[in-house]
Amino acid sequence: MRRDPNLRTTAFPLDVVERWMQAVIVHPGDVQEALASEEVSREMPSVRLEDLVKPSGTLTAQERIGIYHEMYLLRMEEALATDYPVTKYLLGEEAFWALVKDYLQRYPSRSYTLNRLRDHLPQFYLDEPERAGAAFLHDLTSAELALAQAYEEAESPVLAAEAVLSVPAAAWPQARLVPVASLRLLALRHPVLRHMEACRLGLPCPKPKRGGSWLAVWRRDYTVYRRELSRTEHRLLQLLAGGLPLGQALAEVAASLNGSDGPKRIHAWFRAFVAEGLFSRIEMQGS
Amino acid sequence: MSANRWGFPDLGLGVGLRSTHFAHILSERPEVGFFEVLTENYLDTEGLPLYVLDQVAERYPVIMHGVSLSIGSIDPLDFSYLAKVKALAARTKARWISDHLCWTGVLGRNTHDLLPIPYTEETLRHVTERIRVVQDALERPLVLENASTYLEFVPSQMSEWEFIARMAEEADCGLLLDVNNVYVSAFNHGFDAEAYVDAIPGERVCHIHVAGHTHKGTHILDTHSDHVVDPVWALYGRALRRIGLRSTLLEWDADIPPFEVMHAEVLKAKAWRDREAARAA
Repeated sequence: MRRDPNLRTTAFPLDVVERWMQAVIVHPGDVQEALASEEVSREMPSVRLEDLVKPSGTLTAQERIGIYHEMYLLRMEEALATDYPVTKYLLGEEAFWALVKDYLQRYPSRSYTLNRLRDHLPQFYLDEPERAGAAFLHDLTSAELALAQAYEEAESPVLAAEAVLSVPAAAWPQARLVPVASLRLLALRHPVLRHMEACRLGLPCPKPKRGGSWLAVWRRDYTVYRRELSRTEHRLLQLLAGGLPLGQALAEVAASLNGSDGPKRIHAWFRAFVAEGLFSRIEMQGS
Repeated sequence: MSANRWGFPDLGLGVGLRSTHFAHILSERPEVGFFEVLTENYLDTEGLPLYVLDQVAERYPVIMHGVSLSIGSIDPLDFSYLAKVKALAARTKARWISDHLCWTGVLGRNTHDLLPIPYTEETLRHVTERIRVVQDALERPLVLENASTYLEFVPSQMSEWEFIARMAEEADCGLLLDVNNVYVSAFNHGFDAEAYVDAIPGERVCHIHVAGHTHKGTHILDTHSDHVVDPVWALYGRALRRIGLRSTLLEWDADIPPFEVMHAEVLKAKAWRDREAARAA
């Protein structure tokens, strides 16, 4: 980091003061541990706290810097709890607080907005697979992150069913369906919707169990929706949203289905996708 | 009654635009002088908040109030952030853009807190230069608020109010006088709140904040979570007597009550404004 030489005109240049204060504030221990830590001490070696921070009539210097130290974690916890309410509900206050402290050590905020703080929590559970319940919590936080992301996305116009019906069968090999901007598809190793519902109703959370779970999350008219899909339904939506032409996507999924009702099921899934407003427009390849 | 230096209008009484009130505001269209919006909440989103902001900006004056400019930081200014702020101001026809005299982080981090600066000549030079650069980038005056603080630095060479007055003059920027923050900091540091208000250059004050706080006995926290206490209203009245009528905003950001309660609170400022208007007439 470049230092402005003009800043070194006092015993406590501004850059030193700010680096020191930030090191205290973000330290994961309490304020006493922070002040005694290597990370803080190296910013201002051989300097007493009282040489920099005045006590007040009612608080010591340590108590005063301690206010900022405490508020930092409170603020971060509040932000993450807003974006991950089910995770907090499942873990409880104490464990969620511990999670926040550990998460901030690896992924502190580097954005002008607190909305970005949430971005790496699923990845955090991949980084630390030894944490209790990491695999399930990765899936749960992935679902909660998808909901938050869908909320922030641009509103897309919704493709009407009539527009889809107007595409003649002969044109299906060239027709691509463009998904709405908010659509998120998740393939998880644990069902999580039951936990989301329990949280919403204030009921005890069921025990996490393993099992494939496929979700679609999207927003329409500024309301966020989520739905559990079957594995094959998810595959179809994934192919369509991924840009595969309509005819090719339908054929590929049909080939994977056993039983004579395959085409009927695919047709029902496709109608549901359109009715739910998951697509924004049709593009014809080569046009 | 004196105008501010840039002729910014007195927009009357305003409240913050809060998501819990979105539905009420769009359906009831309350009579409010203006809405103040937290800038960073609207920079990187295209969802409901921005949609509501667009609707609000069509019907009401909007003031932007940011928390991440970090004017006092030793980190370089973020010009991509400033470009987004400028674009949002154009989109909402924001009457002015404000932030805080503070720093929020260094080494690329953001603590999302309004951290105190030492009031030294060195800091004054640093902050003043950055304000000029920001004003050039935004192509308009920057309005800076006095933040509540919970510690003071031994190396400070001047009072907070002297620093702010000199900063405003040397950077030619505007001021947002938060009288609750003056009250909070005065208690926390043992200075005279009235002397602070009296020392602020009135012609640079573009608007005034009032707010509630939380008294902890040994210190006060600027929590924006309650009604405005009488001593803060008295400071507000003193500010009006000194500098004249200014757009006035109630900050209520935590434990947010129904819109009607918040609205009723800011309307208490009307009595003070009417008294000042009658006195000046």
